[in-house]
Amino acid sequence: MTNSKPLTGGGLLFKVLEQHGVNHVFGYPGGAIMPIYDALYDSDVQHFLCRHEQGAAFSAVGYARASGKVGVCMATSGPGATNLITGLADAFADSIPIVAITGQVPTASMGSDAFQEIDIFGLSLACTKHSFQVSHVDELEKILHQAFEIALEGRQGPVLIDIPKDVQMASIEQTFKAAAHLKNKVKLPLADISKALDLLNHAKQPILYVGGGVGMANAIEEVRAFAEKTGIPSVSTLKGLGAIDANDKNYLGMLGMHGTKAANLAVHECDLLIAVGARFDDRVTGKLDQFAPDAKVIHFDIDTAEINKRREADAPILGDLKENLPLLTMSLDIENWQAKIQKMKADFIWRYDHPGEQIFAPAVLKEVSTLMPKNTCVTTDVGQHQMWAAQHMSFDEPSNFLTSGSMGTMGFGLPAAIGAQISRPHDTVIVVSGDGSIMMNVQELATIKRYQIPVKIVLIDNAKLGMVRQWQDLFFEGRLCETDLADNPDFIMLATAFDIKAKVITKKSEVTAAINEMLDHDGAYLLQVKIDAKDNVWPLVPPNSANNEMMESA
Amino acid sequence: MNTLTLNNYTLIIMTDDKQVVLERILQVTRYRGFLINGMTAKVNTGNNIATIELFVSSERPISFLTDQINKLVDIKSVKVDNT
Repeated sequence: MTNSKPLTGGGLLFKVLEQHGVNHVFGYPGGAIMPIYDALYDSDVQHFLCRHEQGAAFSAVGYARASGKVGVCMATSGPGATNLITGLADAFADSIPIVAITGQVPTASMGSDAFQEIDIFGLSLACTKHSFQVSHVDELEKILHQAFEIALEGRQGPVLIDIPKDVQMASIEQTFKAAAHLKNKVKLPLADISKALDLLNHAKQPILYVGGGVGMANAIEEVRAFAEKTGIPSVSTLKGLGAIDANDKNYLGMLGMHGTKAANLAVHECDLLIAVGARFDDRVTGKLDQFAPDAKVIHFDIDTAEINKRREADAPILGDLKENLPLLTMSLDIENWQAKIQKMKADFIWRYDHPGEQIFAPAVLKEVSTLMPKNTCVTTDVGQHQMWAAQHMSFDEPSNFLTSGSMGTMGFGLPAAIGAQISRPHDTVIVVSGDGSIMMNVQELATIKRYQIPVKIVLIDNAKLGMVRQWQDLFFEGRLCETDLADNPDFIMLATAFDIKAKVITKKSEVTAAINEMLDHDGAYLLQVKIDAKDNVWPLVPPNSANNEMMESA
Repeated sequence: MNTLTLNNYTLIIMTDDKQVVLERILQVTRYRGFLINGMTAKVNTGNNIATIELFVSSERPISFLTDQINKLVDIKSVKVDNT
């Protein structure tokens, strides 16, 4: 950058982004953020133009989740800013560190209902970890550093910075500090593990309940070592998948509404539940007062507010899981319980036999999982295909399975995959989507075309909003209302319009060759997999039921 | 009808005098299921620390709210006044 132009607020933004190691941002320009885009012109930061601000937000989320770095997105004021909201809410609910930059109308116009003015600062309160509105350019540098620290510190989350246009344009009077760094870390008291040690020593039937916090605490190694040394059987939440090696003999798979029956029964029978980075979410517990009814609870978390929120902890351990879990590692004598667990596992293995010629989605996803290269990153949308992916695919680590857990946002998969692929250009990235979900952010096919992003899209197509249809069939007397999508567009023609190679398969005999063709293709690829619209996700804990009351068929 | 007992609590919150900190506290209080019966707020202009007294009621334990308010970035302390 030449010194001919004085440094502006917009220029400062990119200097600080570079200080924090940000090489890529996702965004969409507009009137009130034009000075920032003008500064981008001189910056080394690479910007990806998404085709909707929600796409930009989810690409930032995918980028963060796949790489462990902070994802950055930006949008203009008004509708640009409100379009980020769903992505911020998703990041807040799943504790994902992103920094969102919004342009705002000039300070003098604020509060006057100006063109494209919305109080995004006010709107952000319920869907961010923290937010800032910059009132003077002299504050900007400090706020930007704080935003990155807050996003990453403790329980991670999204931070929004709203920057009025005049602040973006203002010249910086003060000298730019090369390495300003603020420390704002919450000091946690030393964990008291004596109660937990006592509980563990007396447990006969313990279960390790692994959540999304394990990956985010960078404690996969510690959790695996704990599971191996103690021999405690483990179960995982949706976001925890990958933290435990799927081939570990004491691992029972996902628990909860669409978890394995073995995982749910084991949790129901356990006498000690060790929750690591998990928060007793309603999709995990089913009917709360009947969840692990005989268990004492040891709860490891970084967030005080999660302790005793939904389930009282007999031994809460607050702090960094990576430091605290090894303190509890010991050998246990639980052979009878382990034998019982092996029996449960053997009783409830997945079955892939399926009558007729029509394709069985679980078998397809199982095969994709087997054939995909090591370190492939899979993203999903939300619905039946998401649960089938969680049940039938295996991941080496949580950063290889990106799914909208808490918010359950349809439209997550495609833009998240774009972000993941940009953060990890040498790994394969696969989106598992549905014919309902893909349409929620379908405009991002244009982003794939523009930047030639080689993501592979497995489109599980039942021409239905399948999960809602399933519930209407099971719990609303088959009164199918607004769940038929028989008039979907021609997905092959749609993909082709964006220079994406595409293929449709309808028969079991076509599956293996099609998956191989997709994986071998250098560029983006859409594989449309037509399945029987009547297929349901099994097993299922019905609403308001305990987890040991799983349905295995209608 | 709701037959659960509402408990009354008084919170004393010390916070940096920052933008929207009051809105944040009120938003969290409502979202977490607490009714606001009254409040007082004043700023010590010397050190820019605001003291907020919040009178709330809920059938939920007060720790549900204090844990969440404590997480807000600008909050210095939250105490339940039992006097």
